Amino acid sequence: MQIQKLLVANRGEIAARILRTARTQGIATSVLRHVNEQPGPAHLIADEIVEIDGATPVAAYLDIAQIVAAAQRIGVDAVHPGYGFLAENAAFVRALDTAGIGFVGPTGEVIALMGDKVRARAFVEQRGFPIAPSAIEDDDPATFVERARAVGYPLLIKPSAGGGGKGMRVVHEDAALEAEIETARREGERYFGDGRLFVERYIERPRHIEVQVMGDGRGQVVHYWERECSIQRRFQKIIEETPSPALSSEQRAEICETAVGIARAVNYRGAGTVEFIYAPDGAFYFLEMNTRLQVEHPVTEMVTGIDLVAEQLHIAAGRGLNHAQAEIRQTGHAIELRICAEDAAADFRPAIGEVLLVEEPQGAGVRVDSGILEGCKVTTDFDPMLAKLIAHGPDRTAAIARMRAAVRDYVILGVTTNTGYLDAILAHPRFLAGDVSTGFLAEEAAVLTAPGEDVTDILVAATALSDRRLVRTVDEIPEMYRLMGAWRN
Amino acid sequence: MRRILEIGNGEIPIWLAHTGKGYVVHVRDRAVPCALTPSQGRGAYVLELEGRSIPLRMAVSETATFIHLYGRAYEVGRIDPADWLVEDGAGAGNDSIVAPMPGVVVSVAVGAGDRVEKGQMLLVIESMKLETSLSAPRGGVVAELPFAPGQGFGLKSVLVRLAPKEE
Amino acid sequence: MRRIQSRIDINAVDYRENYAAMTGRLQEFHARQNAARYERPQRDLDRLARQNKLTVRERLDLLLDPGTPFLEFSTLAACRAYDGTVPGAGVVTGIGILQGREVAIHANDASVKGGAWYPLTVKKIVRLLDVAVENCLPVVHICDSAGGFLPLQHGVFPDRHLGGRVFRNQTILSRMNVPQLAIVGGHCTAGGAYVPALSDYNIIIEGTGAIFLGGPPLVKAATGEDVGVQELGGAIMHTSVSGTGDYRAASEAHAFALAREIVSQWKRPQKAVIETAPIEEPFYDPRELYGIIPKDRKIQFDMREVIARIVDGSRFHEYQPHYGTTLVCGFAHVWGFKVGILANNGVLFNDSSLKAAHFIQLCNQNHTPLVFFQNITGFMVGREYEERGITKDGAKMLMAQGGSVVPKFTVIANASYGAGNYGMCGRAWDARTLFMWPQAEIGVMGAEQAANTLADVKIRQLQREGKELTDEEIAEIREPVLERYKRDVEAYTSTSEIWDDGILDPVDTRNALGLSISAALNAPIGDPHYGVFRM
Repeated sequence: MQIQKLLVANRGEIAARILRTARTQGIATSVLRHVNEQPGPAHLIADEIVEIDGATPVAAYLDIAQIVAAAQRIGVDAVHPGYGFLAENAAFVRALDTAGIGFVGPTGEVIALMGDKVRARAFVEQRGFPIAPSAIEDDDPATFVERARAVGYPLLIKPSAGGGGKGMRVVHEDAALEAEIETARREGERYFGDGRLFVERYIERPRHIEVQVMGDGRGQVVHYWERECSIQRRFQKIIEETPSPALSSEQRAEICETAVGIARAVNYRGAGTVEFIYAPDGAFYFLEMNTRLQVEHPVTEMVTGIDLVAEQLHIAAGRGLNHAQAEIRQTGHAIELRICAEDAAADFRPAIGEVLLVEEPQGAGVRVDSGILEGCKVTTDFDPMLAKLIAHGPDRTAAIARMRAAVRDYVILGVTTNTGYLDAILAHPRFLAGDVSTGFLAEEAAVLTAPGEDVTDILVAATALSDRRLVRTVDEIPEMYRLMGAWRN
Repeated sequence: MRRILEIGNGEIPIWLAHTGKGYVVHVRDRAVPCALTPSQGRGAYVLELEGRSIPLRMAVSETATFIHLYGRAYEVGRIDPADWLVEDGAGAGNDSIVAPMPGVVVSVAVGAGDRVEKGQMLLVIESMKLETSLSAPRGGVVAELPFAPGQGFGLKSVLVRLAPKEE
Repeated sequence: MRRIQSRIDINAVDYRENYAAMTGRLQEFHARQNAARYERPQRDLDRLARQNKLTVRERLDLLLDPGTPFLEFSTLAACRAYDGTVPGAGVVTGIGILQGREVAIHANDASVKGGAWYPLTVKKIVRLLDVAVENCLPVVHICDSAGGFLPLQHGVFPDRHLGGRVFRNQTILSRMNVPQLAIVGGHCTAGGAYVPALSDYNIIIEGTGAIFLGGPPLVKAATGEDVGVQELGGAIMHTSVSGTGDYRAASEAHAFALAREIVSQWKRPQKAVIETAPIEEPFYDPRELYGIIPKDRKIQFDMREVIARIVDGSRFHEYQPHYGTTLVCGFAHVWGFKVGILANNGVLFNDSSLKAAHFIQLCNQNHTPLVFFQNITGFMVGREYEERGITKDGAKMLMAQGGSVVPKFTVIANASYGAGNYGMCGRAWDARTLFMWPQAEIGVMGAEQAANTLADVKIRQLQREGKELTDEEIAEIREPVLERYKRDVEAYTSTSEIWDDGILDPVDTRNALGLSISAALNAPIGDPHYGVFRM
């Protein structure tokens, strides 16, 4: 299949990022926009904008029929789903198939398999790859609680249909187990429309390490090395980096080979990520496979110098892998920060507002994948992630130093973001030492959200002096009275 | 020349004065001389404060000032005491709607116990051959609607009473 | 303009003794002022708190522009009346800055006898409103008064310049298009009800503010009607039914924020234009005034040394420096405003009177406000001076001064005796403001002179009756008269009776003058028109 025209069925920074590559490949581009959505960077890049509507903006982006119809109407050859929304929706892939439109990603079958966490685990286990001790509700719903108990504490409850950390709950003691199961079930129903669960042994002080893979759908799979994503808040990744400071080269080779093995087992096509739990003792267990481009893919691009979206499009066009495994090397170190509209000082409450001023950091090794423009309004309609900041350096220390400078230079005014919080993480001695686990942010919460230096006087002075009405009122006071001040006789 | 500034979770009353030599902001019982001059770049300024020159970036919205300072962004909410108090001023005086003239109740849109928003239509009256809708002077709970549709009322009759505002 | 060359030696013994004497007096003065402003019986403060009311000082802080001056009038009014139980006469008046404009303030002090109006309260309010009328100053009334003090109603109510004058002046101000705003932060009963009613704008504070001609007890007595304060004259009734009130405020803070907003709507005054120069601090330290004013009133001092510590840059352009030298005349700037100064350096003679008459006319021709610094024991007496027409020449000075249209300001720096007080723009001559220094005296003559005169009359009367008096008996007659007279001429008596606008620490004179001059420019300056000068 020749891709002459591509629809990006997504929005925000990822839509812009995909469109940029597509354009350099000589592909005509189009992107979605909800009727009430403020234009973002993607809408400035795309050749064509397709308006969609729905009960809510998110519902519109999930509306398969509407999007497929739009894709047909404007005559695209393929759809790139980005991440989130319909990226791992097998029904969407089937609908596109039926419409004769290509999908930049794996087959519907692979998506369905890997999308069902329970089936995916069983599949991986059967082929001899490591998984953590677990109990699956569907195996025998009647004995689920008992079998969960047998896994041992602490354990983790997960929705079978889940992803992105939603609905996951850690249970430390037996007394809480049944109540937590019910809570997790409700959350699963709410987020995924599917209340089925499974539990697995919760590895203490685990690290989250994942491997970027790419398959041609004909049995050829390569990896682009690992990423470490242990800096997570409530199972949401916040900072990702590569290479992982935790791995020796032997372990790195082993984990990457395992990932390639799993992808090869499903005859994987396109870009995917195999996620592992990495225990302090060096053991690692299959967690899940994400059958899409990940949010954090830019760190891999920075160290390998390979444009993964270009690779995706290449494979989607049926042209096989571009690189042999030996050609894919890690050079230096890269880190990514997720810049989110949230208020770290107010328990990470989502922040809203109009973006009044944006100034992106510049400099060697700095990359910004942004989804915002000045003048756009940040609402709670969509995910709070506004942009990603990526820094690359010769080694980890240099990358962190570059990142610290970049995040402090990143000016986003008008909506509160987590840049200060991210900077606090970068400055933390444990982060600098690479001594982290997925519990790091919770353990260090007090330090990381501690109020910084008291700058109240500066803020007050700057606010007062930039308040035109206030200054005008003061200026209108005759000079004599200003000089006398609050004199009393 | 007073403002109430919201920084973090705190409200800080301040006032600005000019001594003839320059501006002085009064904050937390201190008088802080200060000056603000634009510099290179959009929203870029240099703040002179107690002998220090502090570069910062700023954007000002209707109700808040956003400041990028020392690599962090801060939001400072601004409240003009007059606005704040006028909003707050919907006090005891707004507990009831008094008939502006004698007339008849045409229809009633809410019932006792209903929570209503400020400006929400409560009832329609007819007097002097004109229908008039009366709306809630503030948000709250309807305590009493003494007249049913069809009933007549006199000048200054209480047509709706809202439950007293909780402090 | 050249800088005055001071000849003061700050290391001299007399300078230091003077300094010590003045600072001692000032300590007492500031203590008394502080007490009059803030010291109240605890039960009165408790009552205010219970009523949810702020003190009058807190109210002023909320009302006026922060960081700006307030020129308070007659802080020590009534300090020698009513056994000292009515500090400040129960009312605060002055000129303050509100949204950058000068406004006259009339604020009842409910911590003093519930804000009841005593005779001196009325006098102080009427004086404030006179200031407003003369200077076209907008007025903000803060009303919180129990009404007239009934035991002294004869001193509050009937005469031309008593209670009715308050309301009459309000109507005059309104007729002059000078806006008034009343904030009703307590009860306004009977006559007091007209203060908000006659104000162009008014605000009533819910719960505490009320306006009625007769309060509930009076209504009950008169008609038998049982009615509560709120129904009879509360904020809600007046702002939604009677229309007597314009705005209602949920709290004191709300009321004053609203008041600031209302005043910001008023048109800015087109102020009278006079000559100005860039503002300059005095070159000499104003605190040196303490050492310049002799501790003994009979010792002469050079008024140029005083001028040098009040005017901009200590610069002074002296007029006729070699003629009529007991009166120093000349031009200077105070807070940038050009003024003509007349200051006594001794008794007024024929030449100094003529010089004054001429200089006053020059200032009127030039629209230059006049500032009088009094240290005057009177016009020269004696056969020679009468023959030279001292009375006739003094009359010229008075005629010129009376016909003057430029704003006049008077500082009684030391002595103010006899007709000299008239010539130098005493209280009767409509100085826009008149202040006294704490050691100053005012009277027909000096205390000793007066005591001697009175004693002599008595002694001669007794001698006519054939009584021979011993020295002790003469002293017995003379001493009590002297003691009483000394007290009567003191600044505290003057300020208690509101013969002045207050006592000033000498170093505050410059600011008080600056504010007074600036406020005076709210009124237009017309063209001078004089009566007949006796030639």
